[in-house]
Amino acid sequence: MPSYGRYIIERTLTFVLSIFISITVVFFIPRLVPGNPIDAILSRMANIGVSVGAQELVEEYKKMFGLDKDIFTQYISFLRELLRGNLGYSINSFPATVSELIARALPWTIGLLSVTSVISWILGTLIGALAGWRGEKSILSRIFVPFALLMYIIPYYILAILLLFLLSYYMRITFGFGLPSSGGYTPGMELQGLTLEFILDVIEHSTLPALSIILSSLGWWFLSMRSMIITMKGEDFILMAYAKGLREKVIMWKYAFRNAILPQTTGLAISLSRIVSGALLTEVIFAYPGIGWLIYTAITSLDYPVIQGGVLLIIISVALANFLIDMLYPLIDPRIKYGGE
Amino acid sequence: MAKKITYIIASIRGGISVATHNRKFMAGLVMFLLVAIAAIIGSYFLPKSYYRTGSFKPGQPPNPENPLGTDTLGRDVLAQLCWGIQNSIRIGVIVATIGTLVGAAIGFISGYYGGVLDRVLSIIIDVFLSVPSLLFLILIAALIRGTVTVEIMALIISITSWAWPARQIRAQVLSLKERDFVYMSKLSGMGGIEIIVRELMPHMFQWMGANFINAFLVAVLTEAGLSILGLGPQREMTLGMMIYWALSYAAIFRGMWWWWSSPVLVLIYLFFSLYVLHLGFDEIINPRTREK
Repeated sequence: MPSYGRYIIERTLTFVLSIFISITVVFFIPRLVPGNPIDAILSRMANIGVSVGAQELVEEYKKMFGLDKDIFTQYISFLRELLRGNLGYSINSFPATVSELIARALPWTIGLLSVTSVISWILGTLIGALAGWRGEKSILSRIFVPFALLMYIIPYYILAILLLFLLSYYMRITFGFGLPSSGGYTPGMELQGLTLEFILDVIEHSTLPALSIILSSLGWWFLSMRSMIITMKGEDFILMAYAKGLREKVIMWKYAFRNAILPQTTGLAISLSRIVSGALLTEVIFAYPGIGWLIYTAITSLDYPVIQGGVLLIIISVALANFLIDMLYPLIDPRIKYGGE
Repeated sequence: MAKKITYIIASIRGGISVATHNRKFMAGLVMFLLVAIAAIIGSYFLPKSYYRTGSFKPGQPPNPENPLGTDTLGRDVLAQLCWGIQNSIRIGVIVATIGTLVGAAIGFISGYYGGVLDRVLSIIIDVFLSVPSLLFLILIAALIRGTVTVEIMALIISITSWAWPARQIRAQVLSLKERDFVYMSKLSGMGGIEIIVRELMPHMFQWMGANFINAFLVAVLTEAGLSILGLGPQREMTLGMMIYWALSYAAIFRGMWWWWSSPVLVLIYLFFSLYVLHLGFDEIINPRTREK
């Protein structure tokens, strides 16, 4: 059997390679379109009527990315600047750099995504385990299975629109109050700094986007955990535990649950890119000031460097997260075979 | 050769008969076709001019003239819906066809020939599967924003739609190629391509069918996602573009429920029917998941 060391080397190679391929693709895509990127930027700036700083921007770009040189030199400078964390300048908010804009948006996305993923994973896994253990005929299964299926089938953005209507618009016209429909906080609140009032305001604004992400991803966690526990129930070691006279609760949590939790963890890696894309669209619908919204506003204002930077950042972080889960998994589950086929 | 063709026809016919006896498959198919046919018939009565800006009185709730009302720009919502469904389905069909065929070709080649080629192709497949494909599509669509048509949209989405079918077919080929009948064909002097087409392909039709449904579902989903981001075909109607317009004009908060809810409900219905269809197909391929 190949060692853990070889497994790590193989995974690391694939990871580095996939990052490298992604970066290369992101570099070449805009260059497939005829014309040089600087002319494109200039004509776009003329289109939207920006003239302040246009010349400086062009000069900066030429210097930084060697745009008057051949494509190979450009590629090398692109990689060099990327390593320094430099993603170029935003066209719309020049002289702000893309990295600055991303740094401003990133905490929002990370905050929203991490909290919602953890909540939905825990909730879905726990309810799924209970529903699976109590069997097909239990009330828990009867209520939650159709609900989870529905949540699983309905895409993130559709659910977001429905929640927006129900909890923001409909509640406001019938009960007189509704959840805030857009933004990350009430404009102006950020001036008072990190006060309790501001934090509460942020939480209030995050409720709807968070709820829609939790509900959308909850369905899958529930369904997969439930079916896993149902399979576990038929296994010999469960029968053995019963024969030993262990209490039902112990068998469920210490035997079935502990074994089912492993595949549930890999599930997280597999669905990560689906969750991230879904969360990006959810941000757009709720005008939530994270990376998704940043990319959206960049799209509407043709700010290509920002789109490129945002996309690159997400691709790299998803690949990195997948890589980390790959690394951790063999440590959690000794049964896994290293080295693939 | 003639024998082979009769065998292929028989296996397809056999597949169809299994399919028609699967309740989930048929239910999903009927639900899906119902909407598709209704949209096609509807678009004969509601020409494209019905959703040109200013064709009707703007912002009307459902009334005898406009059964689903009109939007803020005076466009008939039912006409938008009929054309939107058609275009979304067209995108789904184009993407699923390209994705399934290209994916199958890559999967067959990678799985059958193995070696360095397989290594390289597998890594490329892995990269495409581990990265959120929506993001690559955003980059490409943002470059040609404004000039996108329904067909171009479909081609853009196809760029990432082959990876999943390729992985599935590759895995299947890896197990199939060790079977005796493949060795037999090799001994009888058949070439690689010939073995793939004549011997392996007939075993894969069902898998390719499942991949087709899956790619179709993902395509409709992705189209709507890209359109909501403002990257859709601005001059044409798709279900995603309908949502885009409704969101841009804040239809929800102006109480114009007939506008935003039509595409939303149709999308939910479509996804539901495709999901049931997919479940049915799973049962056909995987007898273990069949109901007892």
